[in-house]
Amino acid sequence: MMIEVVNLTKKFKKVNAVDQVNLYIEPGEIVGLLGPNGAGKSTTIAMLSTLIPPTAGDVFLNQQSIIKNPVALRKILGVVPQEIALYGELTAQENLKFFGSIHKMPKKKLEERMEVVLEQIGLQNESKKKVKHYSGGMKRRLNIGVALLHEPKYLIMDEPTVGIDPQSRNHILETVKRLNEEFHTAIIYTSHYMEEVEYIAKRIYIMDKGKIIASGTKDEIKSILSSENTILIKLERQSKEFVNVLLQEPTLSNINVNETEISFTVSKDMNFLPTLLTLSNNSGVRLKSFQVEEPSLEDVFLHLTGRALRN
Amino acid sequence: MFLSLIRKQITILFRSPTELLILLFMPIVLITILSFALGALWEGENEVSKVELAIVQQDDEMQQVDQFLLEAKDFINRTSDMEKYLQHMLPISILVEQMETNEEMKQFIHVTKLDPEKVEDAKESGEYAAILEVPKNFTYDFLSSIYLQGEKPTFNVYLNESEKITSTIVQSILDYYQQQYSLASSLAQSGVPTNIDSLPKMEITSDIRTIDSQQEITSSTYYTFSMTVMFILYIASTLASQAFVEKYFHIFDRVLLARIHPLTYLFSIMTATIIIAMVQVGILFTFAYFIFNISFAQWESFLIITLLLSIVVGGLAALLSSVNYRTNSGEASNVFSNAFVSVFALVGGSYFNISSLSPWLAELGMWTPNGAALNGYLKIYQNASMVEIMPNIIHLSILAILFIVLAVVLFPKRGGIV
Repeated sequence: MMIEVVNLTKKFKKVNAVDQVNLYIEPGEIVGLLGPNGAGKSTTIAMLSTLIPPTAGDVFLNQQSIIKNPVALRKILGVVPQEIALYGELTAQENLKFFGSIHKMPKKKLEERMEVVLEQIGLQNESKKKVKHYSGGMKRRLNIGVALLHEPKYLIMDEPTVGIDPQSRNHILETVKRLNEEFHTAIIYTSHYMEEVEYIAKRIYIMDKGKIIASGTKDEIKSILSSENTILIKLERQSKEFVNVLLQEPTLSNINVNETEISFTVSKDMNFLPTLLTLSNNSGVRLKSFQVEEPSLEDVFLHLTGRALRN
Repeated sequence: MFLSLIRKQITILFRSPTELLILLFMPIVLITILSFALGALWEGENEVSKVELAIVQQDDEMQQVDQFLLEAKDFINRTSDMEKYLQHMLPISILVEQMETNEEMKQFIHVTKLDPEKVEDAKESGEYAAILEVPKNFTYDFLSSIYLQGEKPTFNVYLNESEKITSTIVQSILDYYQQQYSLASSLAQSGVPTNIDSLPKMEITSDIRTIDSQQEITSSTYYTFSMTVMFILYIASTLASQAFVEKYFHIFDRVLLARIHPLTYLFSIMTATIIIAMVQVGILFTFAYFIFNISFAQWESFLIITLLLSIVVGGLAALLSSVNYRTNSGEASNVFSNAFVSVFALVGGSYFNISSLSPWLAELGMWTPNGAALNGYLKIYQNASMVEIMPNIIHLSILAILFIVLAVVLFPKRGGIV
């Protein structure tokens, strides 16, 4: 049962929020949808979830249009919205019970699933607390738990780690991995955190301004920059003069300056180290470190759009 | 599944102390304060103030009778019986006697006999609702008109225009008196024996009949009803706000993904509102029963009005939710609770009985949910029949249908895809 998105387009007045997006998700795989805020990820997800109709294009489940028949997909779909879609006045148990009952789950089955889900999200000891008294991370975990109750075959997660502490973030990422490995749940994971997508997704779509600008496995995407190395240098102090010299250097690209740290890409064929040392000496600034890195998804995005992912 | 939606709405509301404070505590406090604070004023309003009537008698009745008998001796047979009869027919004496001695009349009219020289001052002072001036020779002319074919005399009545209600009462009484007296004197003139008992007896019969059969409306009764029907409106905005929060935080998306039709969700808001509204009315009336001893003899009528009012409020909650969803903001419920409830309360008579100001306002008030229900409760409390509360039932039914239809039409059939 593959989900296939064909030329999906959404226009809001004159703005193309999503422009002819094509993608697919196979059973049991994790697909990452990476892009900066406003790239069109959430709108794509909303159409994919059958929550808003597309202006053009279609989504197919087993070659059947879900625009025409959304029920087939809704039965096997769990959605974790970016917002905490829970009732703060209810306890975790009451929330799970409510959402399970609207899915028409039999009482006994629902009770069993509640136990399993509470264990999966690590809230079994806090299940009788009102959600409004939970920490941000606990709310996020319950937000995921609600989507898992009816054992969906496909799980769409829209920025599930926004605004939480690193510990909770790790817990969520591990939960997602475990769901995929143990229950073969196919997951569409959207984020603007490149490292999260890189960590859990096997295939990745990169979106910008409503369009898919790159897709494939991590290695395939990174191979866009295969002829180049990313070099990260640290300076002893900030130097505008040195940065200006680097910017004028024709062999460098994707120059990114963060105080005393500077990264840039350079052709693999070129030994740039002697040149770099000369330039730093001429500018009167000493290099503290020099590191050659494999290109990251961030570098690919920078290369493709000229902008950083989190700008 | 539908029950889960309703149970969830009710649970959330009953776990919100702020909402409970507004929906239950506030009306109880206001009913208590208004009942005690305005009790004296309210009872004062119900008293009918006495009509002040002044009588200025320019003639001397006995002297006029004697004069008549003396001058008419050539035309009529003067017997002792006739003299006695004429003395019983003295028109002004009879009028004054009846107003002063009749127990029912005494409740409404206070008669003052004025000296003729004070009549102008009395007219200017406006102290009296009416001044009855009996001209000189009135009794003589009156007897002449009966026995000697003379012209009918008239007395002068000055009505105080600033006291419209009381002066109208006086005018009605005098009109009635004159009609009856004219009839009696005509019969006497025609030779029909006229018994003193057939002379007019002024009674206010119609009002007394209705007053006896009705329960008195006190301030506590009025404000129990008026505050209940006002605060029930806040349930609509509260539930509509809750519904918007569900949209804002994408809980509604989860409901749709659970394959629940948007209209099922809308009707769950409406049903939850109806249940909460009925519970609120139940609590407030139970309070009023134990504290103010307010109860209804006709429980069926009370339940019908309460159920219809609750359905109207349910429809309002659904309509406000629809507007909130359509405009993607919670403004509709805010504007309703901050402005519309106050306007409805004023027009519907929740603050004071506005319908007494004009018939137009009374009719307008009947087109507000609280106004129609308040009027219905007051009627039921005064033992009105089902026919008498039918206009209230019709108004509430029309409002309920209107709100529900608008809510269904306006609610986005979203999910795009349903």
